[in-house]
Amino acid sequence: MNDDERPAVAGVVIDLERLITMANQIGDFFAPYPPERAREGLRNHLRTYWDPRMRNALLAHIDAGGDGLDLRVIEAAQLLLDKGADKSGYYGPPQH
Amino acid sequence: MWNEVRGLRDGIDCGTPPRDGKPVTLTVDGVEVTVPEGSSVMLAAAEADRAVPKLCATDMLEAFGSCRVCLVEIEGQRGYPASCTTLVAPGMVVRTQSDRLAKLRKGVMELYLSDFPESEIPDGWSEFHRTLEEVGINGHRYGKGRNHFDLPVDDSNPYFLFDPAKCIVCSRCVRACAEVQGTFALTIQGRSFESKVAAGQDEPFMESECVSCGACVQACPSHALVEKSLFPGGYERA
Amino acid sequence: MPNPRKPERETITICAYCGVGCGFKAETIGNEIVRMTPWKEGKANHGHSCVKGRFAYDYWCHPDRIKTPMIRDSIDDPWQEVSWDEAFAHAASELKRIQGKYGRSSVGGVSSSRCTNEEIFLTQKFVRAVLGNNNIDNCARICHSPTQFGLSATVGAGAASQHFDSILQADVIMVVGANPTEGHPVFGSMMKRRIRQGAKLIVIDPRRTETVDSPHCRADVHLALRPGTNVAILNSIANVIVRENRHDPEFIKSRCEWQEFEHWAELVGSEEYSPDKIGPIAGVDPEDIRRAARIYSTGPRSTIYYGLGVTEHSQGSTGVMCLGNLGLACGMYGREGVGVNPLRGQGNVQGGSCLGSWPHVFSGYRFVTDDATRESFEAEWGVELDSEPGLRLPNMFDAALTGHFKGMYIMGEDPVQSDPNQNHIIKALRNMECVIIHDLFLNETSKFGHVFLPGSSSLEKDGTFTSAERRLGRVRQVVEPLAGYQDWEVTVKLMNAMGYDCEYAHAGEVLDELARVTPAYSGASFELIDRIGSAQWPVNTAAPHGTEVLHTEQFPRANGLGTFMLTGFVPTRERVSDQYPLLLTTGRILTQYNVGTQTRRTANSEWHPEDVLEMSLGDMQTRGLGVGDSVTITSRFGSTRLKVVESARVNPGVVYTTFHHAESKANAVTSDLSDWATNCPEYKVTAVEVTKVTSPDPRHAESSVTRPAHREREAEEIAVTEKV
Repeated sequence: MNDDERPAVAGVVIDLERLITMANQIGDFFAPYPPERAREGLRNHLRTYWDPRMRNALLAHIDAGGDGLDLRVIEAAQLLLDKGADKSGYYGPPQH
Repeated sequence: MWNEVRGLRDGIDCGTPPRDGKPVTLTVDGVEVTVPEGSSVMLAAAEADRAVPKLCATDMLEAFGSCRVCLVEIEGQRGYPASCTTLVAPGMVVRTQSDRLAKLRKGVMELYLSDFPESEIPDGWSEFHRTLEEVGINGHRYGKGRNHFDLPVDDSNPYFLFDPAKCIVCSRCVRACAEVQGTFALTIQGRSFESKVAAGQDEPFMESECVSCGACVQACPSHALVEKSLFPGGYERA
Repeated sequence: MPNPRKPERETITICAYCGVGCGFKAETIGNEIVRMTPWKEGKANHGHSCVKGRFAYDYWCHPDRIKTPMIRDSIDDPWQEVSWDEAFAHAASELKRIQGKYGRSSVGGVSSSRCTNEEIFLTQKFVRAVLGNNNIDNCARICHSPTQFGLSATVGAGAASQHFDSILQADVIMVVGANPTEGHPVFGSMMKRRIRQGAKLIVIDPRRTETVDSPHCRADVHLALRPGTNVAILNSIANVIVRENRHDPEFIKSRCEWQEFEHWAELVGSEEYSPDKIGPIAGVDPEDIRRAARIYSTGPRSTIYYGLGVTEHSQGSTGVMCLGNLGLACGMYGREGVGVNPLRGQGNVQGGSCLGSWPHVFSGYRFVTDDATRESFEAEWGVELDSEPGLRLPNMFDAALTGHFKGMYIMGEDPVQSDPNQNHIIKALRNMECVIIHDLFLNETSKFGHVFLPGSSSLEKDGTFTSAERRLGRVRQVVEPLAGYQDWEVTVKLMNAMGYDCEYAHAGEVLDELARVTPAYSGASFELIDRIGSAQWPVNTAAPHGTEVLHTEQFPRANGLGTFMLTGFVPTRERVSDQYPLLLTTGRILTQYNVGTQTRRTANSEWHPEDVLEMSLGDMQTRGLGVGDSVTITSRFGSTRLKVVESARVNPGVVYTTFHHAESKANAVTSDLSDWATNCPEYKVTAVEVTKVTSPDPRHAESSVTRPAHREREAEEIAVTEKV
């Protein structure tokens, strides 16, 4: 199952406002962390816990200007595009 | 409190709570038995397969010593101590059966029986009935005297009722509500013949602080507190 | 007549209600259950019980029970009774049709934490192996999903570290956002026993609950904080501990990541979290914060028990991490009498968590994105599996509104009554084409169903439950299933109808399969439990009889060490305003159980026939309200009607209600905000206003969507500029 099968139009799968709120909330949690760890933490959280359609909707919205998203969220979400960054360390429940 | 809850066994009621502690060895009716320090003589007797008849004791509650049924003889001690409130000591020698003890127990049970509805004796299967059998009592020498047969049944709670006519005021319900549940809704009100179980400020159970946990029903040895569901057609006094 | 009838047979099983998991004897005469008595060897209850398990079991044979499957094309049509085979065929063809038209991810399911481990396992297998996606969730989403997240992050396991008996060795008991006396009564009684023996009690809860003050049992410190300030208070407690050097450096150095501790100590030790700063924000005396911190850190054995008052917040996961951090900082892990323990509500919600009823993990908490794990399941089940995380329950409803989620298998859940923002969910369900309800009774959600599969109560089936203390015990069949099948058999037949071949001679074979694929359960079997009574996971070759206390030597994280998460306080976006100046928080009462599906059909309703709104006297007076008045309670999301009563238990500015009755529609009012990590709804904080009802209109809930959009925005602007 790959991402191509799922539509990537912003606001289609889940209400955009909700998506933005959720993403900003994640950003708020990682705020006390040093910037690089915060970005990685946010990126890993989206990768592990968000349905790909929601991720794609977020990225599409960022492409369209990212209105309403905190800057740190935009930077971190863009890390998702780098598939090579799929590592196992991140700031949520650990992998066994 | 550790073994007091973790050491409880289904189908076996040794009368007082199991303890953790250094082992103590004593002799009951010639049988040597070893139990943790802090255990009662009643528990040691039960472990030795020489269980003593009882009414106000149950191993989910601390000993109380009110019913005077569980009396035993202990070598070197005068009188007939209650085995539930007597702690074991190393080398203690206990006798659970003797003519004198049998007579004392029968006497106590006859008194209980004299204030228990006669029609409820045959076919009864409560702990009280079993103790009557163990002690060898099926009648009493007293005529019809003062009794509690006319006190009203409290069936305010949808699930269980309280019939004071069958209450032997052993306090197990009061203690269960205090020690096990921790609500302290029940007390024994009044003195002597007037003593009775009261919920809250002597109100119906449903209006008191009772939370209907059923600990009292579970503790009651005489079916004075009993589930309504065991009476399919409703509860009626004979 | 005068003597009670004597039961003929007794079957040992587990209570159908809360996560304490009391052992009971179901006593029967023929096929009739005549009473339920507490099992003395029940390791959770030791012969004790509460009103629900002991007496409220009659719902199983209530006339409302549905005994025949039903289908209908449209929710506006009446239900049509059909045979089981017809129902399965119809459901299967609908699901296939929907997947063909809208895509493989347009369907999903939610399992029931009231059902057995075997049933939950089969439901997630159905979604993964048969529907081919990971859109499977469970009700822990709306209660303890932050526990899963927060405790896994700090100590590596999202479950209670202790067994219940452990509290008998605690010197300090800290209860946060929970009311054990009412929510977990048998455990509450154990806790009170220990307190009567001299243990100290700290309670962090906006209300002066029974747990705070009851006969012979009073809290040494009660922090009656403002709803929404958990993380601030917990960080402030940590502030005192760190500044006064009350943490345990030896424990931290040997068992935790020291560097992370230093980062954390710097964060919480800062001036921003000092009691003098946080006290006023949370509405608490700074000295009480200091006392709580000192008592907890002194111990020597301090234990934490917490509930939905921690998790059901927009910082739910953060709050749980705070508790984990405190436990680690003070060395309160790995022995008796200590630990951090969630009071899980449902009888088998821990099982649901363990067995992969989540969109992002398989059973055993292993990620669907991890290739090795996924391949092992593919080998076991013989099909290719989806490698991407699926939709969470609230997101399933969101996706339904946008037309991307069209079919759902809802097992033993009533989201319309129990999930927040009710009007949103109703609209979402209306947008779906095949809603399959598998339950005992018709309920609020089944009004929007297209297929109804009659379920079986726990008295009618075999299986296992995993309680809040990780205890795996046997649910044993006492009576024949009224509708003919045990729930797990229904799920298997649904899988077969969809073309997936699998069969099990009895429920024990399902447990064997799940034991093969779930490391913490690998030693579990019906035979083991029959032999030793019960076992707490992990039960495996290293611990063949189970494990009472976790983390005695290592934490189950990659490097074996506990870690500290940085838990900055982020105030909730839900703020009071001139329009909505009060904070509503919700909770439970002893006699009713959650949405009342079972308890409302028993005599328990004599105690709690309706949900009422508790309000402080001052707040009532300023609004001209009298006790017993009918009031409208309104939030940004909706409104409903309740009866108001005066209560000294709530502080001014806070109101409280329960959600046990469908008529109260409490969740028409609760917000759509949720935990940042798990989407656990923020039930515990909603800004509301309460006004007297003057007109005699019948009860109804209004939707906020009928208000003009510009009024909505006005309210938002005011809310954002107001401080907490």
